Amino acid sequence: MRVLVIEDEAPLREQLVSRLRADGYAVDSAADGDEGLYLGLEFPVDVGVVDLGLPGRSGMEVIAALRAAGKAFPILILTARGRWQDKVQGLEAGADDYLVKPFEIEELLARLRALLRRAGGWSQSVLHCDPLSLDTATRTVTLAGVPVELTSYEYRILEYLMLHAGEVVSKVELTEHIYDQDFDRDSNVIEVLIGRLRRKLDPDHALNPIETRRGQGYRFALARTPS
Amino acid sequence: MRSLQARLVLAASLVLTVFLGVGGFALDRSFHDSAKTSVRQRLQAHVYALLAAADVDSRGTLHMPASLSDERLQRPGSGLYAQVEGAGGAVLWRSASELGKQIPAAGPLVPGRWAFARLPAPQGGGLFMLSFGVAWDTGADGGQRYTFTVAEDVAAYQAQVDRFRRSLVIWLGAAAGLLLLVQGSILRWSLAPLRAVERELQAVEAGAQSRLEGAYPRELKGLTGHLNALLESERRQLARYRDALADLAHSLKTPLAVLRGALDPRRREQLESVVREQADRMNTIVDYQLQRAATSGRTALMAPVNVASVIERVVNSLHKVYRDRDVQAELRVADDILFHGDEDDLMELAGNLADNAFKWCRHRVRVSAHREGQSLLLAVEDDGPGIPAGQRDRVLDRGGRADAGVSGHGIGLAVVADIVTAYGGTLRIETGELGGARVRAAFPGV
Repeated sequence: MRVLVIEDEAPLREQLVSRLRADGYAVDSAADGDEGLYLGLEFPVDVGVVDLGLPGRSGMEVIAALRAAGKAFPILILTARGRWQDKVQGLEAGADDYLVKPFEIEELLARLRALLRRAGGWSQSVLHCDPLSLDTATRTVTLAGVPVELTSYEYRILEYLMLHAGEVVSKVELTEHIYDQDFDRDSNVIEVLIGRLRRKLDPDHALNPIETRRGQGYRFALARTPS
Repeated sequence: MRSLQARLVLAASLVLTVFLGVGGFALDRSFHDSAKTSVRQRLQAHVYALLAAADVDSRGTLHMPASLSDERLQRPGSGLYAQVEGAGGAVLWRSASELGKQIPAAGPLVPGRWAFARLPAPQGGGLFMLSFGVAWDTGADGGQRYTFTVAEDVAAYQAQVDRFRRSLVIWLGAAAGLLLLVQGSILRWSLAPLRAVERELQAVEAGAQSRLEGAYPRELKGLTGHLNALLESERRQLARYRDALADLAHSLKTPLAVLRGALDPRRREQLESVVREQADRMNTIVDYQLQRAATSGRTALMAPVNVASVIERVVNSLHKVYRDRDVQAELRVADDILFHGDEDDLMELAGNLADNAFKWCRHRVRVSAHREGQSLLLAVEDDGPGIPAGQRDRVLDRGGRADAGVSGHGIGLAVVADIVTAYGGTLRIETGELGGARVRAAFPGV
């Protein structure tokens, strides 16, 4: 999952970026509105974190510009004032949720997970495709109730595919949403990771949870279990 | 024209001058006319008297008596003259008063006709002259024709007119002076309340009094009422800032003391949890005091806010935030309900109440606003677990919340309570029709 962080206070921005990276997100960050808008328009962002009080172009303007350009990814606004006037204006400009400073970073992570789930059409924090379950809060996966041990990148790929269950996801798209910018796109690391995932999730070749669409990419094939 | 008094005096003086001028002119004209008429009537009476006195014998010769009824006709230079002309224009008889001063001939006149004229004289003055044509029946060849003329010096008439003009000017002048005087005092009397307002404002500025106390006339009530409201809101704002600052300083002392205590090396293992706990507490305190200071309360001369549009914006925003919750929000707010206060305050109030309702409801939230007499009533309810009766006071009490922290409704309700208080309203928590908590705010006269 690729997160865009636009925050002008350097300590907070760095804290957010390092924590998000540690939690397995690919992160782009900007210290002002203009740079943030550029990143939001140019990169395949999955979710944005935008501070309202930015120097130059304000957070409100960045959000409005992103929405006007047709960018639909969910946006969480950070506001220091916490007045409803600000929250309502931010949400009206196109944001999806707000968080008042100061906040616990765990709270921010939970909100981001919720926004990502919702964008994928999931309403619960546990993504359930019988017999597979992925808990976005604890980052754990179970197969028919039995925990499955995944590496960080394996988890990221599975989470992305499950959030977009039923859709075909190209290898480039997977790469872009999972790795930071400096990744070598020509390597076959994605194929290797998909192969390992298949062995762990479907040792008997009975389930086939991840289909390969030749020339197009991958598709998570298990049906979403209604909650 | 900076002064109201000067404007009024000038306008009134102009109007007065025009009125008195036109009135004086009309009086003068009508006096002239009636004086002229009376001169003519007098002359006419003299003509008749002459006619009665005249006698024409059978040969057609005119005879006038030696003495006439008015002695002025006998006295030379008396100012009253008479003469009789024959048909050919020759003067047949002159009164004795014409001695040394001959009046012009009137010329022959058709019998029965009157001619009245004012003849200017080259040396000033002049004459009023009335002539009458007469045909005297002598029994022979259609009778003799005569023209009887009586003339009077203008001087007497002029003296009368001059007298009248003099007294007219004196009386009109006196009336104008009196009117201006009366008007001046009416103005002073009418404008006295304005001077009183000025004096009171100076006293307020000097700190001698806190509001305009005087009983003012109806036309000024609006102005003084708004001034008082402005002064009041200004003072309340100041008091709120002062209180918030003092409260902030005091309430930060406790967590600071706890933090300092946590530095004790024997309690090192608790340092992290204590710091976290106290940071949370300080954050809550700062949030709360900031919100409180930002509440503007009722201010004078504020544009009214449409309640329905503010609540709609808040609820739409909350739907976005609580998209997962499938909340059915029902708005019972008429389009024409207005809130005479700060939009920011209304949004803060509606936002906090509706946020709690969205948070705690199972599925349903209802926001309603209506007017009851002079009051605006705003209620937000949900179908959640509600707030137990025993905790309701504590939830609203900022002290209780800021320190102990009633779980759930958090800082929101305390902020709402402060806003409602700032507008002089009341806040009640009860069990609503939907089964959960209902928070009702009543604003008198907002």
